[in-house]
Amino acid sequence: MTLIADRPGPGAARPYRFPPVVRRAVAGGQVVAAHLPGQNLAVALLLLDAGAARELAGKEGLGGVLAKALEEGTAQRDATAYALAIEALGTELVTGLDWDSFQVSVQVPVDRLTAAVQLLAEAVRTPKLDPADVRRVRDDEATALRMDWANPGPRADAALRADLFGAENRWGRPMYGDPDSVAGLDVEDVTVFHSEWFLRPGTLIVAGDLDRIDLDALAAAAFSGTGGGPADRGGPIDVPLRGGRRIILVDRPGSVQSTLRLGHPSPHRAHPDHVPMTLAGTVLGGAFTSRLNHLIREVRGYTYGIRADFASSRRFGRFAVSSGVQTAVTTPALVEAVGEITRTQVGGVTEDELAVARSWRAGQLSVELQSPRAIASALTTLVVHDLPDDYHARLREELLAADVDQVSAAAATHLHPDALTLVVEGDAAIIRDDLTAAGLGDLVTRP
Amino acid sequence: MPDSGYPWPIETSRLDNGLRVVVSEDRTAPAVAVNLWYDVGSRHEPDGQTGFAHLFEHLMFEGSVNVAKTEHMKLIQGSGGSLNATTNPDRTNYFETVPAEHLELALWLEADRMGGLVPALTQETLDNQRDVVKNERRQRYENVPYGDAWLRLLPLLYPPGHPYHHSTIGSMADLNAADLATFQAFHETYYAPNNAVLTVVGDAAAAEVFALADKYFGALPAREDIPPAPDGRTVPATARPAVETVTADVPAPRVYVAHRGYPFGSPGYDVLTVLATVLGSGRGSRLYQRLADGERIAQPDLVGAYGVDLAHAPAPLIATATARPGVSAERLAEGLAEVVDELATVPVTAAELDRAKALLSTAWWRQMSTVDGRADTLGRYTTQFGDPARAADRLPAWLAVTAEQIAEAAAEVLDAPNRATLTYVPEETA
Repeated sequence: MTLIADRPGPGAARPYRFPPVVRRAVAGGQVVAAHLPGQNLAVALLLLDAGAARELAGKEGLGGVLAKALEEGTAQRDATAYALAIEALGTELVTGLDWDSFQVSVQVPVDRLTAAVQLLAEAVRTPKLDPADVRRVRDDEATALRMDWANPGPRADAALRADLFGAENRWGRPMYGDPDSVAGLDVEDVTVFHSEWFLRPGTLIVAGDLDRIDLDALAAAAFSGTGGGPADRGGPIDVPLRGGRRIILVDRPGSVQSTLRLGHPSPHRAHPDHVPMTLAGTVLGGAFTSRLNHLIREVRGYTYGIRADFASSRRFGRFAVSSGVQTAVTTPALVEAVGEITRTQVGGVTEDELAVARSWRAGQLSVELQSPRAIASALTTLVVHDLPDDYHARLREELLAADVDQVSAAAATHLHPDALTLVVEGDAAIIRDDLTAAGLGDLVTRP
Repeated sequence: MPDSGYPWPIETSRLDNGLRVVVSEDRTAPAVAVNLWYDVGSRHEPDGQTGFAHLFEHLMFEGSVNVAKTEHMKLIQGSGGSLNATTNPDRTNYFETVPAEHLELALWLEADRMGGLVPALTQETLDNQRDVVKNERRQRYENVPYGDAWLRLLPLLYPPGHPYHHSTIGSMADLNAADLATFQAFHETYYAPNNAVLTVVGDAAAAEVFALADKYFGALPAREDIPPAPDGRTVPATARPAVETVTADVPAPRVYVAHRGYPFGSPGYDVLTVLATVLGSGRGSRLYQRLADGERIAQPDLVGAYGVDLAHAPAPLIATATARPGVSAERLAEGLAEVVDELATVPVTAAELDRAKALLSTAWWRQMSTVDGRADTLGRYTTQFGDPARAADRLPAWLAVTAEQIAEAAAEVLDAPNRATLTYVPEETA
């Protein structure tokens, strides 16, 4: 036999270490940095308390328009000169937005970091925001969203979110807005949002070789000309569960697959069950060998992939399953998915499954936190959720210590198969009758 | 200017059965990347078997002599690792990054599927993964606007019989016809140690890796008569533009302008890499400045240009733009062609060149910033050019490209008669 039959066990475990974290108050703002000795690349990220949750209902998509408008020229130079200046350093201005924060970042060889942060600050603090430019950027963003919404997914996501959280609330509407909400924004919305939220200092996140980085110089550039203190961020929102399951059918004529989005509300990020809930989600639909992916992909062959997770922000959270399945098997795939969620809620997880989930989540803290970009992202988690420097090491311990009883209890408490909203975006003419006959819940059709 | 794009140690070894082993030690993080490049891709597929190399990649996760179905995924993720595999026209790569203490497990798993896949392969597994791949095709190519652009561009660029003529995902008809014996033969033919490169980067010493490689892979037999893919290095010039217009359910007109350039790894490909960055990367690029900002006929986030890094034939160079509302496909195509044509006539300035090189430097160091990025790079250079150390040359080669070289390459490659233009037109305006 040319193969070795015995599976080798692990060698001696290396100690886990998250890079040393440096926190500093400089020039009116906060700096949070991680030291990556020998790393040629560095990332600086300005974190502002200007996430989507800061937009008013009816104004969703404002942050996205402002993000693009920042690059349409500054007090010092026009849009073309700005693009050439920042790209000559080897970076573009990367903007990002979630419910809790707005992020602007640069990624450059370490010796260019100060110059890149100066340009970042110039765009964030002193954008020109010429009305004609803002209107054009708004129109481009509305078109970009319209193009994105031609793909399967965004309409189903929006239907699920509205059903879970209520379309009258900002958090019941799409995080990036929709083509109509963006088209309806005006110049003043953008300039007022900028002056309200983009002139507060915020936090500068830095990941790189700190021996070659002058944090004080970066902070001076990032926080120059800022003012105003932190604003109240509000407490967790109580989101009620539905009394029964329902199906929302979003028509996509001619679609060869049905896009599935199943979900219900779940706890916010600071909930004490965060770790066991994450692990329950991993067993159900996170790992490749999760219950859902095993059954729907590896046994049935209905899909290229299916996943489930609990996602949470400071004020709210949701459990969701997402997949794309061949049109002809839409109803059986839904029946089986709801069945697995129910089985997990009722029967909990096994030690064998949990062993994979906890080792995977813990190991990912070494394996996936390598690049300056990934480390910077981990630092933003510390800042947004008020977590200590040793959070990642503690998280690792908590993950590894979670037992079957804790995780099964989290599944029992936080999965609600009878309160699921099942959104199906597909060819309604083909799948409607089957969906109705399956008895999974009342059917609502959306155009 | 750096002398090297790879300032880490590289050590190599070759087992008696021909398996090349490359190790690059870096103790920064307690993680190690394991990467296998097999020198087989969709370019090896004969007529009637399109999509087989990629479907085969799926089968490699479904069990082998000592590993049960789906156990591969379970063991790697259950060790805390990340894993995946990809297939392209040139090659198939398999990779996992694990906490360093699980290096030996990863090597055992890779050896078991290199040497022991065929006895574990069943009709049931093949049927299941065929369905999964057909769903992958639906999800990535058929059910999204413009999703089939790559499938349409390839036959415009490469004639029937050329190894790049057909796409890696393959046709539904061929996938339906796939039989078990073909896949058993596929493994026996191509999944031999002398057709592979094993690369390990990260928290491991070279001597330790060489010993483990010998322990787990050393007894696998070499195969001496691995058939080469058809030679695609010479593509007959058509001297006639290839044009295809597709009326489809898309939200706006979109145009792709494609040319056959030079093979990846050649000096010409380096010139085209810089050229593509000047043309289509970032807001300072010519396409953005001219079409998105200047004339405002293109959607800002959807202009771009890029080379596809294939090494066994003149590789595609693609430029694309999507129309702003009210702009016709014809107007957009004209504007796009004009900017592409000007690369041969309007010299690239020093500022344009510096901008492109700065962006490329960052892109290079980003690829090098993870052990998995480095492992894949070393595996590529060993497989395609016989020497992992040549990876260090890429960045300096980009930085040495001149404006004159770009003008010459543009004149030679971006020649309108050798152009393929693919245009999408929305149904309602057709």
